[in-house]
Amino acid sequence: MIKPTHFAAAAVAALAAVAPFAAAAQGAPTGNPAAGYQKTQMCSGCHGIEGWRTAFPEVYKVPKLGGQHQAYIVKALQAYKSGERSHPSMRAIAASLSDQDMADLAAYYAQPSLKTAAK
Amino acid sequence: MTMSKRLLISLAAAAAIMAGAGAQAANSEAGKVKAKEVCAACHGEGGNSTVPDYPKLSGQHADYLAKALRDYKSGLRKNAVMAAFAGALSKDDIDNLAAYFHAQPAAVSTRN
Repeated sequence: MIKPTHFAAAAVAALAAVAPFAAAAQGAPTGNPAAGYQKTQMCSGCHGIEGWRTAFPEVYKVPKLGGQHQAYIVKALQAYKSGERSHPSMRAIAASLSDQDMADLAAYYAQPSLKTAAK
Repeated sequence: MTMSKRLLISLAAAAAIMAGAGAQAANSEAGKVKAKEVCAACHGEGGNSTVPDYPKLSGQHADYLAKALRDYKSGLRKNAVMAAFAGALSKDDIDNLAAYFHAQPAAVSTRN
């Protein structure tokens, strides 16, 4: 017989497997903050450093993303990918992201302030 | 070099620095007035937007905000709504708004 805890774990796993497809059916993928955190390697070199300045083509501090709206972050990444926004590094990075990657990253950054993630 | 000459040079340098800072000092109070007129309807009071599609501005870096507005105005950053609003702003308006939103209680923070 299946132990209740195993059954619960299996149920969670099954839901987790189905959830992305359910969201995809509605058009936009649902973001997963934990998955987003695993994809921040390309972001944190600039956006993870307080006061970091981009050097090209203009010098200014890169925007703070923590706590920003999820929908806006997705829109910003899409705008870089499509060329509506023109920053060269961001265009290249956004072009490499899938819709699911964008949703996950946005979900991660949109979370209210995280003390543990900063460590 | 005599003591008085050194003093004079230091004073001149200090005056030059202060003049430079004065020329660039944005007026956060003027920005507040403009923000209420132009930005608040979408970006919320103090830039703390509650509309998911519109970014929170409070506490964002001033130079980033100013660049965003300049790019909307010039058309480098393409957005029909923001092109209209930013197009109506002067250079001083842009600097004042950026200073104002940066100075508000931060809704966004740097995250690793």
